[in-house]
Amino acid sequence: MSEPTTQQGAPELERRGRIGLVPARFGPGMVGGAEIVMAEIAQGLKARGWDVEILTTCAKDHFSWRNELPAGLAEEDGLAVRRFPVVMEDIAERGVLEHAIVSGAELSITQQQRWMNSGMRVPELFHYLLDHSDDYRALVFTPYPFWVTFACSQVAPDRSLLWTCLHDEPYARLELFQPVLTGVAGLFFQSKPEHELAHRIVKPLAPHAEIGCGVDVPQKYDPDGFRERYNIDGRFVLYSGRREGAKGWPDLLTNFAGAVGRYDIPFKLVTMGAGPIDAPPEIADRVVDVGFLSNDERDNAFAAADAYLQPGRWEAFSRTIMEAWLAGTPVIANNSSEVVRWHCGRSGAGLTYDDQHEFEQCLAFVSEAPDAAAALARSGRDYVLAHYTWDAVLDRFEAGLGEWTRP
Amino acid sequence: MRILMVTPYPPIRDGIASYAVQAVKGLRAEGHDVEVLSPGPSAAHYHLDLVGPRGALALAKRVGRYDKLIVQFHPDFFYPVPSTARDRAAVSLALLAAFRRAGEVEVVVHEIDYRHGRLGLDGVANRLLWSSVDRIVVHTENERRTFAQAFGVSPQKITLTEHGVRFLPRTFYDRIRARASLGIPQDAFTFLSIGFIQPHKGFDRAVTAFAGLGARGCRLDIVGSVRVDDPGYVAYNNELSVLARATDGVGLHDGYVSDELFDRWIVASDVVVLPYRSIWSSGVLERAALYGRPIIATAVGGLPEQAAAGRDVTLVADDAELRTAMWSAAGQRTMNFPSTPWPIEGDDLRGAIQQEVRLRAATDRGSRVAAGGTRTAGTDTEALLGASTVSAPVRRVHQLQLPPTNSHRASAAFVKRMVRRLTAWEVEPVVGQVNALRAATVEALEELAVRRSTDPVPGDDDVPTVTQAD
Repeated sequence: MSEPTTQQGAPELERRGRIGLVPARFGPGMVGGAEIVMAEIAQGLKARGWDVEILTTCAKDHFSWRNELPAGLAEEDGLAVRRFPVVMEDIAERGVLEHAIVSGAELSITQQQRWMNSGMRVPELFHYLLDHSDDYRALVFTPYPFWVTFACSQVAPDRSLLWTCLHDEPYARLELFQPVLTGVAGLFFQSKPEHELAHRIVKPLAPHAEIGCGVDVPQKYDPDGFRERYNIDGRFVLYSGRREGAKGWPDLLTNFAGAVGRYDIPFKLVTMGAGPIDAPPEIADRVVDVGFLSNDERDNAFAAADAYLQPGRWEAFSRTIMEAWLAGTPVIANNSSEVVRWHCGRSGAGLTYDDQHEFEQCLAFVSEAPDAAAALARSGRDYVLAHYTWDAVLDRFEAGLGEWTRP
Repeated sequence: MRILMVTPYPPIRDGIASYAVQAVKGLRAEGHDVEVLSPGPSAAHYHLDLVGPRGALALAKRVGRYDKLIVQFHPDFFYPVPSTARDRAAVSLALLAAFRRAGEVEVVVHEIDYRHGRLGLDGVANRLLWSSVDRIVVHTENERRTFAQAFGVSPQKITLTEHGVRFLPRTFYDRIRARASLGIPQDAFTFLSIGFIQPHKGFDRAVTAFAGLGARGCRLDIVGSVRVDDPGYVAYNNELSVLARATDGVGLHDGYVSDELFDRWIVASDVVVLPYRSIWSSGVLERAALYGRPIIATAVGGLPEQAAAGRDVTLVADDAELRTAMWSAAGQRTMNFPSTPWPIEGDDLRGAIQQEVRLRAATDRGSRVAAGGTRTAGTDTEALLGASTVSAPVRRVHQLQLPPTNSHRASAAFVKRMVRRLTAWEVEPVVGQVNALRAATVEALEELAVRRSTDPVPGDDDVPTVTQAD
């Protein structure tokens, strides 16, 4: 199945029944694609007349999982948000098991279960769903590897949907996740490679649809104002997102430092998002952190950049490259990411690299031929507008709701 | 009422955990304030290593805050494995302390070794422990009777509860959608064996009984995973996989399934087969009954009693009855044989018929050559016949089976069942190994024969022979 379809002659979608969206974190300032997407979907569904509620934790930080927000039901940004406290034990064995998983060692199912249960857990959310899952038409979880998704999607699997965020990473191949991917009411995929990956590693796959991911289309950009407000002179390349190993940030710093050391690269590296910088001393003065930006300022940053860098190996969609293309900015991305490679190939608006040398040559192209780079990026905007507007994505999302759930 | 339930709990994969979470849901829906304590980290409110006297004493410190303590009991949660009589006595006494501190104590017994009620150090401690429990819950009358005898507990204290009393449907798929989602043709007659793969579940018995039905348009789907990393279980899974591959129409879907997918498989099936060698009671039987699916089950443990509760269950005593029941359920007699017509003339009519007999039998056994659909092609037919010939001596040795426990005298049947129950843990693995060796030998012989006839080894004829002089 590539897209959910409505059977011929079937009645129009009834927007009845409450939809519970269940991200592990929620609220302003969250840096995480899945969490941001859940917020957008919640607002979009609400605007279309759905009764929407967010079920989430009291945590903001996905490393410490500290309970920073009050538990209970409250209205936040026009949405009903029900928060539950996290229990975080961080059992020492988790690190050992995590290392084993990432290094490709084969873990028994018992070890996989111990790994899953040795970090953050949310028993109160689990029991709330045990008591109240019948109050919801659908419960939408994301992303797949979090305890909240793993444990709570199995409370009422017949009404659980997953915004899967499946990456070709060692976790995805754990036997532990098979029931989550085989036995829920439906799976939403954001890209064709994600869809194909799921078929490669899961059998039989739960009902599913490839619906893409929505991106807001800015009305205008203010690149000069951005430079002025953040005191950035000269040309720069941009990185946006969580600064951590899983997102390729350390590799990006290494590659960038290598490029600066060997060539007369005119660029600064501007970064927005969260996480420590830890830049090598030789490029420390070139790395500029502008912190977490509002949506408008984020868009301005994309427009001001010479290129957007996407060093992540594991992407389920990569909203940021869409935001770059909308702003007319070319993308330089890690070729290991099947999804990003697919986007770049399909749109014709991005370059990919497999090693340090290719990375340097990508920077050289953007540096030496900025007009050609801008021309390259131009088809990216058309690509995003053709496939990934929120209206189109929500239409497909609703089709999935109609097909897989009951009012 | 404020209740503490002690139990393994999701997202741990465990049958008792699945049972417990449904019980918790039911109690909370009745308005009780239920908290859960599990032996390890899970979705429970608390966790505590309960093994050994220290575990039980740690539990004792917590129970005073609750009006009622409910324990989903399996000995492995509390008693070290292996353990001496002294160990067991120490744990039982510590548990006794915990139970005495609790307001009201209910223990749901999922499994227990009745031998530990015998007189002796641990027997005395166990009898003290169980006499301190306010309500003991079992799922069959047989368990109720045996438990009372083994531990000297008044039968009035032991309550019988239907295993599936709190079970709820987990899928809203109908048969057509369920089959479409699982890739099962709508017209295929489908048997299902589902659950954790362990030797005592006897899924291999279903495969053996099914052999031959694949050629008649039927299928047997075995769905499940190995629950724990026991080498014996893993070896059994491997053997089952080989057996399934070699049997036409059988699919082994190795992997843990969610509650929803579990039920979807049941909805998609025509008959659920429970070929258990031993069992206490069966949650699968209850879930199949929930969807009105017919069940074929071996008459072991608490299954006869569960069957007696008005479900559509055909009980069988042994492998022969299992085969008959499955073939009968599939309406084998009314189906058309897809094979070629019998020879009715020729110079060597007997030889031709004999050959056809062997070919059809080989097909029924699930020969890979036959499964390839080329049984009439000359070379493969020869290969198949050759394979049948070389494996014949081993095939003539029947599968080892435990003696039946039925008798026209109730007392004799009771004694046989007790002997079976007390010795099964030692004898069944031996039986399983012998049968596995037999199956492996047959398979190896047939494979070799087929290979030699279809792809002769160069120089095979030149193998030097050992002469008297050598």
